[in-house]
Amino acid sequence: MSAQLWALAVVGAIVLAAAGLETFRSRRARRRVFAASPTGPAGHLPMNGEEPYILYFTGDSCTVCRTHQEPALARQFHVYTLPTTVVMGADGNALHINYGYAPAPKLERQLADARGAGLRSAATA
Amino acid sequence: MSTPAQLVDHSALKVNQTGIIATVLVAFIGSAVFRPLLVLIPLLAIALLLGTFAPQLALFKQLYFKVLKPRGVVKPRPVQDRPEPHNFAQGLGGVFLAVASIFLIPLPVVGLALSLLVAVLAFVNLAFGYCVGCQIFFQLERRGLIRA
Repeated sequence: MSAQLWALAVVGAIVLAAAGLETFRSRRARRRVFAASPTGPAGHLPMNGEEPYILYFTGDSCTVCRTHQEPALARQFHVYTLPTTVVMGADGNALHINYGYAPAPKLERQLADARGAGLRSAATA
Repeated sequence: MSTPAQLVDHSALKVNQTGIIATVLVAFIGSAVFRPLLVLIPLLAIALLLGTFAPQLALFKQLYFKVLKPRGVVKPRPVQDRPEPHNFAQGLGGVFLAVASIFLIPLPVVGLALSLLVAVLAFVNLAFGYCVGCQIFFQLERRGLIRA
């Protein structure tokens, strides 16, 4: 039994380390993205005026999520994982970043949240 | 260059992952009271490696296609996808289990830890849809180290 417990401890440590590393990487990327200006090094990000929108990053090897490639934007958003989706507020600010596949209900929830944020800012303006 | 997508039945992949998790768990927990159950690890490695190179020999996928799907136990979920990354991930799992099998007798902790790691990664794929093996495949492909 002790071999099983040791193995469990080793795998547990590996999983915790991986989760910690991923959390750190993800938070750092988010901080960078949220700190970035909408008109950062990648140039202009469209400001939709009224509606929030989604930036969707993919690549040649990701056939599930094929779409246009925007390498400059991908650099700006620190995209290392494919697919990556970014929900943008109507003001051109990144509100949610999903590294890895984001299911439709999650995107819908985030879009609704982005719409809500837009309405709140309009109400306080 | 992109490879044209095919239809991949993701239910078959899920059944495969469930089979891997169940087998490893039975071997892992069962071997604490009945050590010969460890033989399931090399058997699983063989099943995964065979299934990687000859899909008709993929044990859990065949269970799905021949038994579970026709009887309506598991509903098919065809998705436009590439089978290569999933095959690669399965092969990688097989290799890890083969290495684990070598260590099971002289260094059981290493062998069991590697086996459990495969089960954990299969669980992550099953529960969250994140396929680490597929990510490795994409990275290798991007660097031109592997070709589909």
